Amino acid sequence: MTIAASDIKSRPVYQPLSPEAAATRHWLVLEAAAQDADACRALVQAFAPVQPALQVWSVGPLTLDGLPVAVLADTAALAPQLAQAGPFRVSDRLYVQGTEPFIWSVAALAAAAGLAAEQVQLAHAGSLRRRVWCTHCHGFTEGVTTSTVPCAGCGRHLLVRDHFSRRHGAFMGVMVDAEAPGQRPAVQEVFP
Amino acid sequence: MSIAFKPDETFRGDYTYRNSDAAILRFPFPFPEDRYMYSVNMEPHNGSGPSDAFVHAFDVDEHYIAECRDRAITLERDPGRCQALPHMMMAQWDTLELLMESLSHDYPEHFALHKSGEGFGATWTWTNRPLGLEQRFTFGDAATLPCEPFEYITRQVQGDFAICDQRDNNLFLDAGMVTSQADWSLDFNVGMSFMEWHGPVPLAHQAGVFERALKYLLMVRLGQPVRRLNWTMTVNPRLDTSPETYPEWGPDRASLTPENIGRKLHLRVELQTLWRLPRSNALLFPIRCYLASLDELVRVPKWGKRLHRVLSTLPPQLAEYKGLTRYLPMAVAYLAQYDDGEALPVGTTADTDALAEPA
Amino acid sequence: MIVSSLKLRVAAVDDIAPSLRHLRLEAADGAPLPPTGAGAHVLLSLPGAARTHRNAYSLTNPPGTRSGYDVIVRRVPASRGGSAAVHERLKVGDLLDAQTPGNLFAPVRGARHHLMIAGGIGITPFLSYLQDAGVRQTGATLHVCCRESEKDVFKPWLPDGADVRFHWDADGHRLDIAALLAAQPVGTHLYVCGPSDLNDAVIRAAEAAGWPASQVHTEHFGVASAGGSAFEAVLRKSGLRVRVGEDESLLEAIERAGVAAPCLCRGGACGVCVTPVLEGDPEHHDHYLSADEKAAGRLIMPCVSRARSPQLVLDL
Repeated sequence: MTIAASDIKSRPVYQPLSPEAAATRHWLVLEAAAQDADACRALVQAFAPVQPALQVWSVGPLTLDGLPVAVLADTAALAPQLAQAGPFRVSDRLYVQGTEPFIWSVAALAAAAGLAAEQVQLAHAGSLRRRVWCTHCHGFTEGVTTSTVPCAGCGRHLLVRDHFSRRHGAFMGVMVDAEAPGQRPAVQEVFP
Repeated sequence: MSIAFKPDETFRGDYTYRNSDAAILRFPFPFPEDRYMYSVNMEPHNGSGPSDAFVHAFDVDEHYIAECRDRAITLERDPGRCQALPHMMMAQWDTLELLMESLSHDYPEHFALHKSGEGFGATWTWTNRPLGLEQRFTFGDAATLPCEPFEYITRQVQGDFAICDQRDNNLFLDAGMVTSQADWSLDFNVGMSFMEWHGPVPLAHQAGVFERALKYLLMVRLGQPVRRLNWTMTVNPRLDTSPETYPEWGPDRASLTPENIGRKLHLRVELQTLWRLPRSNALLFPIRCYLASLDELVRVPKWGKRLHRVLSTLPPQLAEYKGLTRYLPMAVAYLAQYDDGEALPVGTTADTDALAEPA
Repeated sequence: MIVSSLKLRVAAVDDIAPSLRHLRLEAADGAPLPPTGAGAHVLLSLPGAARTHRNAYSLTNPPGTRSGYDVIVRRVPASRGGSAAVHERLKVGDLLDAQTPGNLFAPVRGARHHLMIAGGIGITPFLSYLQDAGVRQTGATLHVCCRESEKDVFKPWLPDGADVRFHWDADGHRLDIAALLAAQPVGTHLYVCGPSDLNDAVIRAAEAAGWPASQVHTEHFGVASAGGSAFEAVLRKSGLRVRVGEDESLLEAIERAGVAAPCLCRGGACGVCVTPVLEGDPEHHDHYLSADEKAAGRLIMPCVSRARSPQLVLDL
């Protein structure tokens, strides 16, 4: 599924992953469930040229025809994996592909490891589902595919907006019926 | 100069806030023409302007004590309204110095500052008479203040403050004290770049307004502050119109009637100034909020007519973005009685020394 | 306090090397000056033989200094005037006009380490970096490329405990830029200030070594002021002719002639002062006109732009 264009400039726009020639070491981090056959082929084609300096990690089982893949059981295994790969250098690059909640979780780990935003490439694949940040209780609601959603933290019904925070890795949710309690628009499946 | 403070007025609950006649006359009315559209309306902030509110570096008025109390209440409920990313400590000290020096220079009756010497390590003594505070501390040592320097001083100044780190030809909102905002969340926006935090503003992106504004802001010089006005409307004189508390104030938008709209609906004007900070090279962005009800504003005949015309010609996307849609027709209808259709001069000045009688 | 320009008095002059002169500048009225910042510079108006020269010099003071500004000026052999003015004519007690300090080379506050490379007199901005509390706390290393004799000139200006390495053009002492830039830890920011050859070589080497561009910085003294060559402006509607001096903007000259031209931001961004050009070639420095409008040359923003031709005729 492709991400719809948005009027809101904070909404990230993604480009296909492409290894940087001047970088000295590369890590490719994938969300297995988000990759279809076409995506896998495109990744192998793009990253084969840097294979000697490349490590590929997949959260969930995945095989790539032409590149060795280290499979991690779940996202929680990424942090210790990154810690072991460090300390990182200015010439290292990290490339991440998957759903938005996944790629931004990895971006946060990369930032904590000291990698600059310019050293991290993010690309979307798979479901359009969103992580939503509640403006009122500051809690997160995961796996949101609908235009409005009850907040997992405080229960208020939130309108899911396109305004995005890279620090939180989430879209803003604002109470949809504060002015007229109970009057809510029909729920639509917009981020399948 | 002497200010008749009104320390007990409230900005929530019973909403006892009112403007004195003098406060109405010095209000920073934002509309120079009968129609409103975005522009890069920046000008030097250099000691003069269309009303007394523009004269001082950081304006202190009759609402000073009450506003500081309201800020304290908001911070007690939600400490996340004041945040500073770790690399902003130098900018925090720059900000404390600028505010203490300006206030003690412009309002010597109310504020005093004494320094034992220049530079980090000197002992400073700060006196704030309206709030009854006296603080001795070491400039550069946050442990000698009750809290970090940015929070410490902005608790004693009216209006919100953002500090932008300038790097990579861009500005990043890396610190803020935000308790009187027009509906934006510091916790969501902190760390965002200029284009990101302006993301939701409609229309202006297509007009290239933000590209030009960013280039201009990157060149703001030390000693040459600039300013602009922004505006919206608020039901009740409420300072804390944050997205966080939207469930509390949102329902007020549906509470207006033709009978109460004159006293409940307020024009909310932000006097935004921009200051280059010396050691950190960061940009300080104060956002000073002024509130006046429709009934207060129409006592300046020119303003009542102009406001009627601006609101009745406001593009729907702007009205939607500013949250006015629900009550805009009622406001326009209410103001019509004050508009005789007379041609008005361009400009925002009140053009009168005396107010019309209250409604 | 709101200050737009400074009147400075030369408080001390001393030659720290055959071609290096230190100036101590204080406020002519003895008042505290605006505080300095790491990487800041001050634009001085220096009286030349034929005209005034405006040159920018890095402030070497500890950030936050208000009692006076210290600069070090190199004698430039084929000087257009500014350097010669400093070395040959300036003396203690002289008064100079200056702009409030600007800063186009500030250290990046979020860096995990600051790596600096200086070429000769390019060391001056880093002298203020090494005295910045935040930079010291984070950690900084300075590599200086200079003549062997110069390292003793600069040593007294370096704070105690600073990590400084000197390099000069002799076997075993040259700076191996590629080796220095390989394998630097994440969060390191690189700053280079020196002759353009050195700056270019370092920037190219950093790119080749995979450094993100946002972590490589060089000082550009760039045109922040609206000065330039003098030209004549003819205001056709007003029937006035005015000479636009090197040190003033076109807008200032128009105002000096008594014409109250509309303006607002005075920085080339807001569009209020846009003026039609009837004859002549504008030199655009604004951020308002489109590329097409600039190419067509029929509009100008007088607050920041000037003329390529000796004369501009404006519809004003």
